[in-house]
Amino acid sequence: MSAAAASPRATRRALWLLTYAPTVWALHFLASYVSAALYCAKWADATGVLGPVRLLIGLFTVLALLAIGVTAWRGYRQHRYGEDGAVPHDAATAADRHRFLGFATLLLCGLSAVATIYVAMAVIFIGSCR
Amino acid sequence: MTTPGQDDRARQRGQESRLLRAWATPTGWRYWTAVNNTEVGLWYTAAAFLFMLFAGVLALLMRVQLAVPDNDFVSANTYNQLFTLHGSVMMFLFAVPVFEAFSILILPQMLGSRDLPFPRLSAFGFWCFIIGGAFVCGSIFFDIAPQGGWFMYPPLTTQYQDGLGADVWLLGLSFIEVASIAAAVELIIGVLKCRPPGMRINLIPLYAWYILVVGAMILFAFPPLIAGDLLFELERAFDWPFFDPSRGGDPLLWQHLFWIFGHPEVYIVFLPAVALVAMMVPTFAGRPMVGYTWIVLAAVGTGFLSFGLWVHHMYATGMPGISLAFFSGASEAVAIPTGVQIFCFLATALAGRMSRSLPMLYVSGALAIFVLGGLTGVMVALVPFDWQAHDTYFVVAHLHYVLIGGMGFPVAAGFYYFYPMATGKMLSERLGRIAFWLLFIGFNVAFLPMHLTGLRGMPRRVFSYAEGMGFDTLNLVSTVGAFVMAAGVTVFVWDVVRPKRRQPYAPRNPWNAGTLEWLAEMPAKPWGIRSIPIIRSRYPLWDQPDLVKDVDEGRFYLPDAEEGRREFLVTSTIDAVPIQCQRVPGPTTVTIFAAAFLGGVFIFATFGWYLATVVSGVLALAAILTWLWTGTGEIPEKPDKDVGLGLRLPLYAAGPNSVGWWAMFITMIGDMTAFASLVFGYFFYWTVRDDFPPGPDAGPGQFWPAWAAALVLAAWLLTVAARECNRRSMAGGYYAALGAAALLTVAGAAALIAGPRLTGLDPTSHVYPATVWVLVVWGVAHLAVGLVMQLYCVARRWAGRLTPVYDGDIRNTTLYWHFTAVTGAVTCAVIALFPLAGAP
Amino acid sequence: MVAALLATGCDGPQSALAPASLDAARVAELFWWMVAGSAAIWLAVITIGLYAARGRPRSERAGRRLILVAGALLPTLVLGALLIYGLRLMPSAHDQEADLRIEVVGEQWWWRVRYLRDDGGPVELANEVRLPRGARAEFILSSPDVIHAFWIPSLGGKRDMIPGRITRLVLRPDRVGEYRGACAEYCGGSHALMAFPVVVMEPAEFDAWLRAQAAPARAPGEEPARRGQALFLANGCGGCHSVRGTEADGVIGPDLTHVGSRLSLGAGVLPNEPAEFARWLAHTERIKPEVRMPAYSMLAREELDAIAAYLEGLQ
Repeated sequence: MSAAAASPRATRRALWLLTYAPTVWALHFLASYVSAALYCAKWADATGVLGPVRLLIGLFTVLALLAIGVTAWRGYRQHRYGEDGAVPHDAATAADRHRFLGFATLLLCGLSAVATIYVAMAVIFIGSCR
Repeated sequence: MTTPGQDDRARQRGQESRLLRAWATPTGWRYWTAVNNTEVGLWYTAAAFLFMLFAGVLALLMRVQLAVPDNDFVSANTYNQLFTLHGSVMMFLFAVPVFEAFSILILPQMLGSRDLPFPRLSAFGFWCFIIGGAFVCGSIFFDIAPQGGWFMYPPLTTQYQDGLGADVWLLGLSFIEVASIAAAVELIIGVLKCRPPGMRINLIPLYAWYILVVGAMILFAFPPLIAGDLLFELERAFDWPFFDPSRGGDPLLWQHLFWIFGHPEVYIVFLPAVALVAMMVPTFAGRPMVGYTWIVLAAVGTGFLSFGLWVHHMYATGMPGISLAFFSGASEAVAIPTGVQIFCFLATALAGRMSRSLPMLYVSGALAIFVLGGLTGVMVALVPFDWQAHDTYFVVAHLHYVLIGGMGFPVAAGFYYFYPMATGKMLSERLGRIAFWLLFIGFNVAFLPMHLTGLRGMPRRVFSYAEGMGFDTLNLVSTVGAFVMAAGVTVFVWDVVRPKRRQPYAPRNPWNAGTLEWLAEMPAKPWGIRSIPIIRSRYPLWDQPDLVKDVDEGRFYLPDAEEGRREFLVTSTIDAVPIQCQRVPGPTTVTIFAAAFLGGVFIFATFGWYLATVVSGVLALAAILTWLWTGTGEIPEKPDKDVGLGLRLPLYAAGPNSVGWWAMFITMIGDMTAFASLVFGYFFYWTVRDDFPPGPDAGPGQFWPAWAAALVLAAWLLTVAARECNRRSMAGGYYAALGAAALLTVAGAAALIAGPRLTGLDPTSHVYPATVWVLVVWGVAHLAVGLVMQLYCVARRWAGRLTPVYDGDIRNTTLYWHFTAVTGAVTCAVIALFPLAGAP
Repeated sequence: MVAALLATGCDGPQSALAPASLDAARVAELFWWMVAGSAAIWLAVITIGLYAARGRPRSERAGRRLILVAGALLPTLVLGALLIYGLRLMPSAHDQEADLRIEVVGEQWWWRVRYLRDDGGPVELANEVRLPRGARAEFILSSPDVIHAFWIPSLGGKRDMIPGRITRLVLRPDRVGEYRGACAEYCGGSHALMAFPVVVMEPAEFDAWLRAQAAPARAPGEEPARRGQALFLANGCGGCHSVRGTEADGVIGPDLTHVGSRLSLGAGVLPNEPAEFARWLAHTERIKPEVRMPAYSMLAREELDAIAAYLEGLQ
């Protein structure tokens, strides 16, 4: 690990990393819902078959899971920072605070990935607007 | 390390007497002018419980009516008011306020702070709450209570209910929602910025994590309801047809806005209550929480996911199956973080040695009930099952299991747990046990049968039911259970109000807990904490030896009040490094007046007395300006002071370092969410209707909105320029810039109005002009507030209360203007450009 | 206590747990699986809780494993599987192709029912639905006033009736019998009194019934029904109600052409008997709060009885 990363800085940005994965989930959810709703309201034909929208949402899902994966990797590295970092990360040091934020990020990535998959399952089982 | 000379007992006593004087609770009638969190928290809690008892009595009346088929104990009209008020009062006047009340009382204690960052704001919130609450509850005694259900669906409530009930609901509750947003702002800033030094983000009490998440949820959940309330009242009062399909409106927009609020709302109710459990379990297990980070996952994860559930209240509205399926997936997903925290509690109990106690008895009851409620929640998350269970007593059963199991019992447990901290005395073990068993048994007898009653076909919100449908016995059993519960509540209330003068005080830290709030003496001293300690652990009272003694002897920060002022520390967000000594004001009457006049605005508007409304509004503005002028942005007599242990901290901060700036920022996030909800409404109508906009020429044109945008942006830039002039001590430039900015603000507002006015858009004719007008009205209102701020900054500098260094007012004003510029630009773009792109 | 509850039975004319269609049966089955699963999970959690509270302390590691496995991994799998089960039960486009189409308009507080026929005009009645066994019936739902909801629990889930929109619900009854539907969205004063009987019949019987409903009203043969008809028309009832084959052609209130053959009066509120007709006419607002139909209490007893006899005879 480089010297620059050796002392984890207490920037406000550090807290935002926690929110990346759930935010990706939220954006994926919004993009999927809006795409399907607009398509069904404006452009679907009488049978209401979904067709292209399912592929689009599949694409969104892949992108979302990739973004969550990248964040999970960052969180994991942060969680394993330094030598001595076992859970619980409850020591009064900058290093443990850094590890705590990494672990929390990692856990939130796991939840966000599961939630994204649950939402995306809709396009596997539902094929029409009706 | 300790401050030199601190060992001297005489010096300590001197400090204590100065602290006592600065933080003294006012006496006599002045007691009601207090703003300290201890007093405001107590009042808030008492008021919330009174409203709960009121709503509970309403429920008992409902149960008597439903005990037998075809009953005539109350008329249909009365019953419809009863169930509407029961739900509305429980949700808006008890469930959310009680968490605010508890937080106001205990959060500063947990964070080693002496008060919340904006005491007057908390007091103002309380007075708004009690005035609005009394107004809403009082309505039933005049037969004008709302009757549309707690969710008030149009068009029933906009076109078919002529009485005042719906307006009472709208205006009374909007008033209270403002108070909730104020509380959210305070709690977020309290958790992030007002911690004891050393309490890094990985060491904060779990309660603080939950409150942080809930505060953020309020910012995103309440504004859509406020936007919806605005549309609703505009339709009722002025006939703007937002929900009238014959003129292009859509009742479903209300449902979306209401439930975008309504679903996170139930988690806003649940999370702070389970946060209490997270504080109690480690105490009674005698060890730190196992899975602290998992609980952070649960809180943050639930907070985010809860915003993706709202359509599950609308599964039966005929929306496309694919849309419903998304929400079904998210609704199942949210059960995961909900369950994780319960297993953290179980794991802690497993790894620790549980001692028996009354709070834990209530927590066990909470667990048993809440888990059942969560499981039925997982059931109704599935669309095909919900198509049977929706709007039946099955859902009534589910919601009471999760609310009473997830909030009612934990709050009761928290009450028994924190009562000694607030009053110095313990509640009765014996009465507490009796109350528990009456409540637990009564609750299950009342609500378990309702699962079956609903699936056998009994819909919700029915004032009576026919014989022989299979509902008779089940309803009678439910009624009996309700009265057993009421007996339990009565025992509990008696335990709380009975005179305890002869009861001795509790020992200090009676539960042997590990977190900071238990530094409180029995009875508590008004200063909150004797000196602000350096924290090195999640459970400082267990892990830091001699902490209590050192705090009591003033060996940490701010052990004194040399200038007789109320002070606490502001710290950095992540690592709690002290960055400022914050002074807060003491008792005042201005918050009472501001709340009363603002209440007047909402109450007089309900009755349609518009002159009184305007007068009240002007007085409210005067009160608020007085409050700001006398209580904020105070220039200290010296730039910094010694806060103990050799540390000097500034007494003033402006910009992103100041709590005031953060308050503005967070409030504006909420404001932008409301604005986004209105814009969402615009695009929602475009999606679901073919006639929106009715044609490319139906809008306000491009000319006037373009001018409005340009003028607003210019006003914004001039305001920012004024800030820079002030910083460079260029007085002439400052006044010129602000003066010009004010003129451009007025011009911009006029241009914004000119668009729809000069193109003849009539908001009562069709929802398209109404939507354009509501966006314009919103913009103009914000420009008006921006104008007041500009003029206020002019006055402050003129009076010498704003200087190049002490420039908090102009900094907050420019921050407001950043958001207003965005609002103005987006409004103009939407109303001017979209008709060109989106017309059929 | 659970056993005692179940002993009261799950049946009833309006019970989702007494299904009479394949769709409703599938949902009921889903429900019973979920009940079994929930009971098991609830017992497991309570058992762990009791053990955790009473048993000897275990290690922190054991606690963490509990959180990971029981709190995160197992719920993810179980909920995922349940979600798939639920999604698969949602109707596909094919499931919604109709054999029979019926328009139902929810009004405060009654049901306007109109059968659409390929050969011939629509057949209008009110406050009752009859269906042929085995056919997919598509209900085309709407409302001119407030939001109502159409729900026949034995046959399937509910669907809202929203002003400004058309919503659709397809039900396919599989069992002959008498059931009951109700309004399931709060719609004002008499929401609790807005129900309707549902009869599922063999297809041949259904066709016969529909033909009978399509025919105009039978003229009354004898007194007092003939006097009743005269009073009916003289008092302006035809301004709101239709009786096909007479001058009465109002569309504001329920169609009364064959009201005598219905299973209930007033949208599932009163039994179909002459005395009940008379009682309704005299005291509408007492039976259904806020109802739009005025009470005819100024008519004499024998006039009310005559009208009742006339209406009863409209089979």
